[in-house]
Amino acid sequence: MSGPSLDDVTDTPDELDDETAGKLVEEAEEVQDMTGEVCPYPQVEAKKAVQRLDTGELLVQETDHVPSTENVPRAVGDDADAKVWRSGDGLYRIYLEKR
Amino acid sequence: MVSQLLLAAVVGIGLGVFLQKGRFCFVHAFRDLFAFKDSRVTKGVLAATTLTMLFWSIAYELGYYQGFWTPGWGLTGLVGGFVFGIGMTYAGGCASGTLYRAGQGYLHFWLTLAAMGVGYAVFTVLFPTLKAVYFEPLTFGEGLSLFTVSPVPAPVLALLVTVGVVFVYATVVGRERRRAEEGDADRAVAADGGRPSPAPVAGFRSLVGGTRRYLAGFREIDDWVAASKRPWNPITAALGITAIAVVWFTQVSIVGITGPEARWTGYLLQQVGVDSGSFAYWGSVLFKGNGVRLTVDMVMIVAVIFGAFLAAYWSGDFSIRVPKRRRLPNAIGGGFLMGAGSRLAPGCNIGNIYSGLAELSVHSFVATVGIVAGVYVMTHWIYRDVGCAV
Repeated sequence: MSGPSLDDVTDTPDELDDETAGKLVEEAEEVQDMTGEVCPYPQVEAKKAVQRLDTGELLVQETDHVPSTENVPRAVGDDADAKVWRSGDGLYRIYLEKR
Repeated sequence: MVSQLLLAAVVGIGLGVFLQKGRFCFVHAFRDLFAFKDSRVTKGVLAATTLTMLFWSIAYELGYYQGFWTPGWGLTGLVGGFVFGIGMTYAGGCASGTLYRAGQGYLHFWLTLAAMGVGYAVFTVLFPTLKAVYFEPLTFGEGLSLFTVSPVPAPVLALLVTVGVVFVYATVVGRERRRAEEGDADRAVAADGGRPSPAPVAGFRSLVGGTRRYLAGFREIDDWVAASKRPWNPITAALGITAIAVVWFTQVSIVGITGPEARWTGYLLQQVGVDSGSFAYWGSVLFKGNGVRLTVDMVMIVAVIFGAFLAAYWSGDFSIRVPKRRRLPNAIGGGFLMGAGSRLAPGCNIGNIYSGLAELSVHSFVATVGIVAGVYVMTHWIYRDVGCAV
C-alpha cells in the first residue's frame, strides 16, 4: 500500500484472536491508555509513539472509540503494521508493529 | 400531527442508524483528508450531498417539497462557519457526529451537547446587539436557492452541477493516481498502451471501477446479520441518508440539527421557569412567534440519538464511555464554539455542507468555505507535533 489513495474503500483491519491479543500486551514496548479519548488524539499520540520505536517493536493502544480502530492504522500508514482486536463490548486494542 | 410525529421518529431513527453505522463524521471527512489524505468519509459526504441535490431538484420541480432554508448571504457565513469549524474539530465531532455518538454512550458528547446549549443561550441573550453590529453590516444580500432563480429547470441545473462535480472529482483522482504511478513508470506505460490517458479519463475509469467493486461487495455477503454488525461503507450511509432526506424534504423541510437544538435550549429553559419567548431570537426567529413549544424537527433530532443507540447496541459498539479529564476542555470549549458558531453562521455542517449545498443556497456556499477553513486551521494546530499531509 503506497499510502491511502482516493480509491481506497473501507478496510477492516486484520483481527486477532483473544488469547494472542492478551499475550501481546505483555510483549509491548509501550501501552497507551486511550480510553475516554476521541479523534484525533489517538491518531496523534500513535504517530508520536511510533516515531520513538525501533523496527519490530510493538505499540498497543487501548481505546473505546470505534473510529480509532480504522483511523489509527491509517494515520500511521507505512510506518507500522496494524492489527485490531475487538472485545465485542466497546473496548478495542490496536497493535502497531514498527516497520 | 400523529403522522408527523411518526414520520419524525422514523426519519430520525433512520438517520441515527446510518450515521452511526457509516461513522459519518464531517470532522473526519475534512480533518483526516488534511492530516493524512484519508478520503473515505469525504467521498461519502460528496456522494450524499450530490445525490440529495439531484433528488431534491426533482421534488422541487414537481412541487413536492415544503420549502427551502435560505438565510441572507454575506460574511456571516464565513465568520460563523469558521468558528463552528474550529469548534467541531476541537470537540472531535460535528453537529451530527455529536448526536450519534451521544446515542452510542459517549459522555464526552453529552457534555458537548450541553455546552452547545450554553452557546445557543449566550447567543440568544446577545442577539439584539449582534443584529446591529454583526448581522446587518455583514449580510450583503437576500438568501436564495439557485434552483429558484435558474433559467433552466432545477433538475437540469442539478444534473449540470453533478457533471461538474464528477469531472472535478475524476480529475483529482486521476492526478493522484498518476502521482502514485510516477515511481513505477513501466507499469503505467503498460497499462495505458504506451500513452498515459488524461487525468479526468483515468479518474472516471477509477470511479466506475470503484462503484463496480462496491456493488460486488454486496454479492460476497453470505451472512447478512453478521455483516450488519460490522461497520458499513460510508457510501452505504450516504445512500441511506439521501433516501431519508428526500422523505423529509417532501414532508417537512430540509434536514437541520443545530436549529432544532437551539429550539430545545429555549424549550428546556422555559420548562424551568425562564420566559424564553420574551427573548427576540427564540420568540420571533426560532419559534416564529408561534410560542415556545415542541416542534416536529425537535422530535426528529432526539430520534437520531435513539437510532444511533439501537445501531450501536446491535453492533456491540455501545458502552458508557467516560472521558479523560484532560479532554473536558475539548468537550466544553468545542461545544460552546459549535453552539455559538452555528448561530453566527447560521447553520451547522448538516444545515450548510449537506442540506444547504444540496439546495444550492448561496449562503451555504459561503458558510461551507468558512467551516472547512476552520477545520483546516484547527487540524494543523492539533497535528502541530506530527505534521499534516495537506
